[in-house]
Parts: sequence; C-alpha cells; structure tokens
Amino acid sequence: MRRTPWPGRAGHGFVAGYVVLLIAFGVVPTGYAIYFAFTDAGNTFVGLSNFVAAAGDFRFVWAVEHVALYLVCWLAALVVFVVGLALLLHRMRARPVSRALRFLYYVPGALAGAASVLVWLFLLDPTVSPVSFLLRAFGFDTFGQVIAPGHLPVLFTFIAFWTGAGGWIVVMYGALNNISVDVLEAARIDGAGAWQTARRIQIPLLRKWIVYMVILSFAGGTQLFVEPQLLSQASVGVAGRDYSLNQLSYDFAFQNDNINTAAAISVELLLVGLVVAAVFVVRSGFFDAD
Amino acid sequence: MTAKVRTTSRWTTVLAGAAALVLMVAACGNSGGTTTARGGFQPVAQTGGAITVWVDSTRLAAAQLYQKEHPGVPMKIVTYDGDANGSNYLQTKVSLFNRTRSGWPDIVFSSQNNEVSWAVPAGFTAPLNKNLVPAALLAGWAPGANNPCTVDGTLYCLRNDLSQTVLWYNATLMTQWGYQVPTTWEQYQALGQKVAVEHPGYLVGAAGDTFTPEIYLWAAKCGANHITGPKAVTVNTTGPDCTRMAALLDTLIKNHTLSTSSVFSSDFDKNDAGKILMMPGPSWYGGSLFQGTFKVPAGQVAVAPMPQWSGEATPSVGNVGGGTWLVSAHSTNLKAAIAFLTWVTTSDDYQAKIAPGYPAYAPAATAWLANQAATGYYANDIARPLQAAAGQVWSGWGYGQFSQEAIWAATITPGLTAGKTIVSMLPAWHDAVVNYARTDGYQVSQ
Amino acid sequence: MPTDILTADAPVRPAATRPSGSARRRLPNPLSTVVLALFLLFFVLPVLWLVLATTKTDDQLVHGNPLSIGSWHALRANWDALTAFQGDTIFLWLRNSALYSCLALAITLCVAIPAGYALAMTEFRGRRTLLVLTLVVMLMPNATLVVPLFLEVNAVGLIGSMWSIVLPYSFYPFGVYLAYIFFSTALPTELLAAARLDGCSEFGVFRRIALPLATPVVALVGFFSFVANWTNYFLPYVLLPGSDQFPVQVGLGTLLDNVPQFNPTVGALAVQRPELALATLLAIIPVLVVFLFSQRFLVAGMLAGATKE
Repeated sequence: MRRTPWPGRAGHGFVAGYVVLLIAFGVVPTGYAIYFAFTDAGNTFVGLSNFVAAAGDFRFVWAVEHVALYLVCWLAALVVFVVGLALLLHRMRARPVSRALRFLYYVPGALAGAASVLVWLFLLDPTVSPVSFLLRAFGFDTFGQVIAPGHLPVLFTFIAFWTGAGGWIVVMYGALNNISVDVLEAARIDGAGAWQTARRIQIPLLRKWIVYMVILSFAGGTQLFVEPQLLSQASVGVAGRDYSLNQLSYDFAFQNDNINTAAAISVELLLVGLVVAAVFVVRSGFFDAD
Repeated sequence: MTAKVRTTSRWTTVLAGAAALVLMVAACGNSGGTTTARGGFQPVAQTGGAITVWVDSTRLAAAQLYQKEHPGVPMKIVTYDGDANGSNYLQTKVSLFNRTRSGWPDIVFSSQNNEVSWAVPAGFTAPLNKNLVPAALLAGWAPGANNPCTVDGTLYCLRNDLSQTVLWYNATLMTQWGYQVPTTWEQYQALGQKVAVEHPGYLVGAAGDTFTPEIYLWAAKCGANHITGPKAVTVNTTGPDCTRMAALLDTLIKNHTLSTSSVFSSDFDKNDAGKILMMPGPSWYGGSLFQGTFKVPAGQVAVAPMPQWSGEATPSVGNVGGGTWLVSAHSTNLKAAIAFLTWVTTSDDYQAKIAPGYPAYAPAATAWLANQAATGYYANDIARPLQAAAGQVWSGWGYGQFSQEAIWAATITPGLTAGKTIVSMLPAWHDAVVNYARTDGYQVSQ
Repeated sequence: MPTDILTADAPVRPAATRPSGSARRRLPNPLSTVVLALFLLFFVLPVLWLVLATTKTDDQLVHGNPLSIGSWHALRANWDALTAFQGDTIFLWLRNSALYSCLALAITLCVAIPAGYALAMTEFRGRRTLLVLTLVVMLMPNATLVVPLFLEVNAVGLIGSMWSIVLPYSFYPFGVYLAYIFFSTALPTELLAAARLDGCSEFGVFRRIALPLATPVVALVGFFSFVANWTNYFLPYVLLPGSDQFPVQVGLGTLLDNVPQFNPTVGALAVQRPELALATLLAIIPVLVVFLFSQRFLVAGMLAGATKE
C-alpha cells in the first residue's frame, strides 16, 4: 500500500463537498427507488411482487433477448475499435492530424437524443440517404426494410458507437499519453513491433481505463434507451418502441403511472451492472492504487 | 482492524441518515393519488389569482390572443409538447403534482383525445357539465364530438378540433380520366383495380401510416377498440367488418394503388406525392398535407364523403386526432379558467380565423369553413362533406389509454414491409391490443 | 494554437532525439491509414449532411442530392423561420443551457477533482465505501430517479428554481472516477511525499503539486461534465415548470414535435426539417467549441510515468 495513510482529517476535507452531493442526489434517490421496488402505491411493503409483475409483462422476455443481443454487438465493437483507434491515433507522427481526427471522431458525441433523430431518419432512408448506395447494396429500398426488426441490434450499435466512441477514444488517448516515453522507447530498442508494444505494454497499462470503460458500457448497454427511443421517434413508432428493459421501465413509470414496477426493473438492471462491475473490480484490482 | 470496524460504523451512521431521509421524502410523497370525486365535485377555495395555461406551440397563438383581448385577466402561459405522439408529459407532471399536492396548471390543451382515461382516476379534471359550462353552450358541439371527454355521462374535457375522415381526391385527374368519385367501398376497390391497369403508379390511398386503422378500419366499423367502460374494452379484430376492410386494403396494396409508405415519409414525398388520385384521410389533410407538404396547386384538391359499404343504412367515418382542453379540479380561479375555456373553444376570433384544425364547436366550424372556401384553394365545396362527416364519426371505436396507433405501427407495419397481408396479421393485432390493454389495467372481453 | 503544440508535444519530445531520418523514413502504415479514413467517414459524413441540410429548403432535402450545397438564401430563410419560432425562443434556450451547464460545471470541478485526488492518493476512513457507493449510483438506471429527485427538490422548496437542476447536474460521479483513475495511475506519490517533507500542508500539496499536474484530467472532467449537462434532456424536461426555463435540448424536442414528419397531427405553423437541422447545429456548436478549448489541455502529457515505476 503506497498510499499515504493520513491520521488527520484532510482526506475527509477533500471529499466533503462530494459526499454531500453524493448523498443528496445519488444515495437518497437510489435508496428511494429501491424502496419503491419493494412497496406499492400505498407505501405498503409488498415483497417481490413488483418484480413478479415486471417479469410477467408480455414484453419482458423479448426485452431481455433484445438487450442481450445488443450488448454483445455493442461491447465487442466498443472495446475493439476504441482501443484500436486510440492506439493508431497515438502512433501517428503527424500530431496535428491526430488531433484533428480526435476532434472529428468526437463531433457526433455532441449530437445527443433529439438532436440526432433527424440525422438517422435521413441516413437510414435509401430514398434520401447520403449512403443510399450502401443501403441498396444490402438490398434495402425503403426505410421500412432498413429498420426491420432483425436489423435493430446492429443499427443501435451503429448509433451508439457513432455518438459514444469519440469520447472514449479521447479518454484512452489521454491515458496512452501518460505512459512513459522511456518504456516505449525501451520496447522499441528491444525490437518490439507496434503490435507487440500495444499488447505487452500499452494495453496492460491501460487496464484501469479499459475496465472502467467496460463496467460503464456494460451497464449503459443493459440500460439501452436512447437509441431505440430515437429510432422510434424517427419511424413514428414502427421500430424501437418497447424494445429494451429500460424503455419498459420508463413505460411503467410514465405511461402507466406505476413507479413501483418501474423501480423493480431498475433494481434488476442495477444488480446486473453491479455483479459485472464486482467481477471486473476484483479481478483487476481496480480499487487499489498501483 | 479497529479502524476498519470504526469505519464501518461511521458509514453505517451516514447510510442510516440517508435512509431516514428517504423515508422522510417518502412520507411527504402521497402516493399517485386516486382522489376520486365522481359524485359531487367540490371545488377548492376560490381565492382567485392568475390562471396557468398550458398549450402546445400551435395553440400558443390562442392563449396570446386571449391575453391581448383580455389584458385584465392575469395569465401565466406555459408551452409544452402538448403530449404529442403520446409523450405523456401531462400525466407524468400531474402524477408528480399529486404527490406534492401543488403545481397543477388551471387549464391545459392536449393534442391527445384520451387524456380523461387517466386524468379522471387521478382526480385532475373538473366535471364541466356540472354547473361550470351551461348546457345550452355544450349543445353547440358537433354530435359525438365530446365522446372522448365523457365518462359515465360526466363531461371532463372539451374537444378543440375534429379530425373526421373524408375522401380527398384530385378533381382535375378525375375529370380528365372520366372517373366517377366512388360512394361505396365496392366502387372504391373497383376504381382502384381500374387505376392499377389504366394508370399504373397512381394511388387511391395510403396504408403505411400509424393512423391507417383509424382511417379505414374505424370507418368500416371494425370492433378492435370498443371501449365499453372506464376500464373495459372489447377487442374483436376478426369480425366480418374488420376482415372485409382488411381484404380490400390487401387487394389494393397488392396492385400498388395503396402506398405502404407513410404519407409523411421522404419516400412518399419523392415518389408518390405527385400521383395521388384519391386519398381517404382526416380533415386536416387538406391544409397540412396537400397544400403544405405536397404543395398541390390550387383548384385540384376536392372533398367527397367517405365511401360506405353498399346497403349500409348509417354512414360512418373514422377520426385521426383532434385536441382537447382540460380544466383542473384544483384550480383556485375556476371562473377565469372557464371563461378562457369558453372563449378558446367557441370564439370566431380564434377558432374560425386562426385555428388550423376543423373546430369542434359547430357554429365556429361554419365560420371556419367559410374562411377556407374564401381562399379558393379547393376545387369543390368542402363544407358540406366535412360538416356531414363531423357528425358521423362511428362511436363504436373508443379512446382508451393505450395507443391504437402505436400498436398498429409496431405490430402491422413491419409485417406489411415484409410482404405479409393485413388479413393474415389480424389475429396478431388482436393479441397486441389485448396485451397493451391489460397492461393499462383494462378488463378485456373478446 | 501555439500553446497547444507545446504542451501536446511535450511527451514525445524525447522521441525527437532519434535520428530524424528514421522517423521520416517510416511512412504511415497504409492499412492503419485506410482504417482511420474509413472511421473518419463514418463519424463525419452524417454531420456533414446535417451541416448541408441547413442550407436547403425542405423540398431540396428530399428531392436534391443528399450531399449538395443549398443556397445562402435558403439558409437565411431557415434562420429567420427558426428565430421566429415562439419569438426568439431559441436564444433563450441557449442562454438557459449555458447558464445551467456553466454553473454546474464550476461546482463539479470544485468538488470532483479534490474527491478523486483524495480517493486515489490518501487513505481515510470510508474510502472504499465511497468508491463503492459512487459506482452503485453511477450504475443505477435513471428511469426511476426522477420521481425521488422531484420530491426531494420539492421538499426543500426549490421547484421552479434553476437550482433544482443545477445541483443534481453538479453531482457527477463519472468525473470523480475519471479523476480517481487519473491520479492513481499517473501521479507519482514520491512527489507528494517530497512536498510534504518540505512542509507543505495537505491542501498545499494538492494545490501546488497535484493540481498543476492534473490539467489534463481537469480538462477531461470539465469537458465531459459540460457535455453531460448541456445534453441532458429528461431532468429539465420533468423538473422545470416553465417553458421559459427550458434548456436547448428540451427546446429541440419541442421543435421536433412541431415537424409534421415526426408528429403528423401538428397542423399549420409547422417547423420545417432544415430549421430543425439549423437548431441542432446551433445546439452543438458550444459543445464543439468547449471541446476544442479543452483539447489543448486534454492530452498535455505528464512528466508522470517518468518517476513512476
């Protein structure tokens, strides 16, 4: 343990402000939501009946399948391409080009939610799309064919990657910059190629960042909401409505005024996220200082 | 080790504190609120003060005009999305206000017809026909216009505009090709088959929109959405009235005289908009779709009554939208709220001169139609068919909390794209409607 | 951006001592160039389309070539139509967004950076609990958090005040973790120990040693926090009672609901799609400006690694 153990109150002083916000806007709402999950509209304890109600909904099983399928596509794409692109950009000699590319890769990240509905409506409609040649090459002639139910996991991965990858690339690039030049130089002198340097030195040193990204992206993936919602808006409800568990939770909370069942789904998603996080945290020593 | 134990205990204290806070907040949140006040409505103390008016962007003009004409009335105008596309903003907010027992707006416009399905159980809406709005005035609404607002004989909202369906057609092409405007569905189908041969590419309608069931199946008296009580519905999608219309749609989809693209899609705009011979659709198609989106030149678009099945005694039409006004039961200035409500739904200043939709209040509708005729855009007299249709909306199709449009879009539209027939999907449609109705707490009979 | 080049190049400076010929000789790997270029197209093409869309009429958008340039005249018309929507309300939305995001950003930075620092560099009671709790609330889906937040904000009488969203915005656990990982992987403890020996107070160590080295992570947290606040839709949508308080993200939603293609029953006075595109562009420009600004510090390498084994 190389962390300095302080006898004093300095550590607490540093975190005091954060703890106040954490309790007020993190712990209390989360605690309240968990309380919701085990009570009914009259604030009576009802055990697991909200969970039973959620699992009994006709959309529940489909939603689990959809999310699982999406998660596979999304995590694979994210980890491989984000780390890969960050490494490529970091190796680039022309710094201004690398910087410009990072900016341009990031740009879609600014287009959140409502802002990108219009973009995807047009992009995915072969009649007016700038990439209509691609869509037609796949045999799609109408918007309806593009958004057929079977294509949705891939489409959502595209949308999520388009908006989300740039930010992570910046994070990974920054992390790569923190790796000592001497270490990389030594590896080069030892005759390590780009691939070996990445595999043996850079990726292991990025471990904490990658773990963080995977934990958050896994949770984010199980909580899939924005992308189907967006496509649902673009297609006026044809594709993407009631697609994911989190959408189901929103439906319960805001369509049926049933916050309790909604909370039960949220708690389930939280548990899944926590289990995966726990596995990664323990196996990677995430909470330890190096 | 001791430090570890003390750590735990300190954090236990913090967490216990947080838990106590949760309970405190929970205590002030009085659950969703089923303050049913069906029998006798007891207004809250009328302390007066400014009325808060919630409108969507389109109705903002109405609120602003009222403020201008009545500068003495203190008003707070708030714009919101009008619950467009079933956003449920109003329901969400009212449910939160019910928990905190404050914050309700005094009067609200909604672009949805089914608000009372949740707003009455939530105790939000004031009953209007119990001493608030005179019966003589209410008699002015088009027959059946306020059906969506009525629960067990009590009126909980007022209809702003109607969206009764009629048969839009291109008079120029009809004359040029020597066709008769069909008055029965049989003639309509026959003409569709003729067009497919004589003028391939031209359309007699569109079946790719979320509101397709409301245009065709509602008008055909299909019993897919028969709301029989506040929380009861009968769903029958495979009766003869449903299958007959579904088969008609399938025939015309197959010969490509019915488009399966939404009339608002780029695909339709680019490939089909110039090839419309006929188009059954709501009253707002004229201004919004033909004039606004497709920019059809003046003097071509005309209106005929919706076709009927031959031998049908009572003509019936469908309905696609039309908004409602709700007054809060919690308003402390009901007098001002009702005055605004009366003005906004009945005055010619707004309804006849500014409102984009067909006014639900019949005298205002007459004036509105006169204004439309004065523009000279339409090829025939649109007033008669529209006025007649306003009273013919079939009452067997109700306004439940679940969205028939959303269900159709998610269940039928992808199947249509994949080449399935509507007839073959009627059972799946039935199951979807039943599932969604049950989720919303409806008793379903079949 | 001269400072940019200085700072960004700092970590590679030693590499420049290599015979420059060898660096020059190595041409960019064609495969990686192709990969980078393809991804560039993937990320940029839709944005390019959006930019071009603002210069067209709705008609051109559907009937013209997707990547053609419209006209100055159409752009002007779209601008006029957009600003006429509810009378200049777009500027009000932008102003609100800027106000909320910047206030929350300031609080976030003051709170998250020291917290991340303490979590990474010091041992104190409850450190692990704090890390775990932060992770738990970060992983909680937010569908059900809105109702508790509303009740909480109501309980303290902040409904209707901009603080009802600024304060929840300021709570940014993602940033605390970014700072935590940064400090724990990149800040040499020896440096801190040395400073302490020199008689620096704990706050002094943070202020004089850690903070100056933490520029990249301050920029990173600041940027992501700004973007998260700027693009947040649901919280202001549900919490704020007045439409004159809406931020631009909610405003875009309002515009979207007035486009007939997305909400067929809207009727007249409708918003055209190029106007929506223009509003979208206006809404993202501040984010991009902040990105460009913070990018100067984002990757400013550390002397870091060098002293850390």
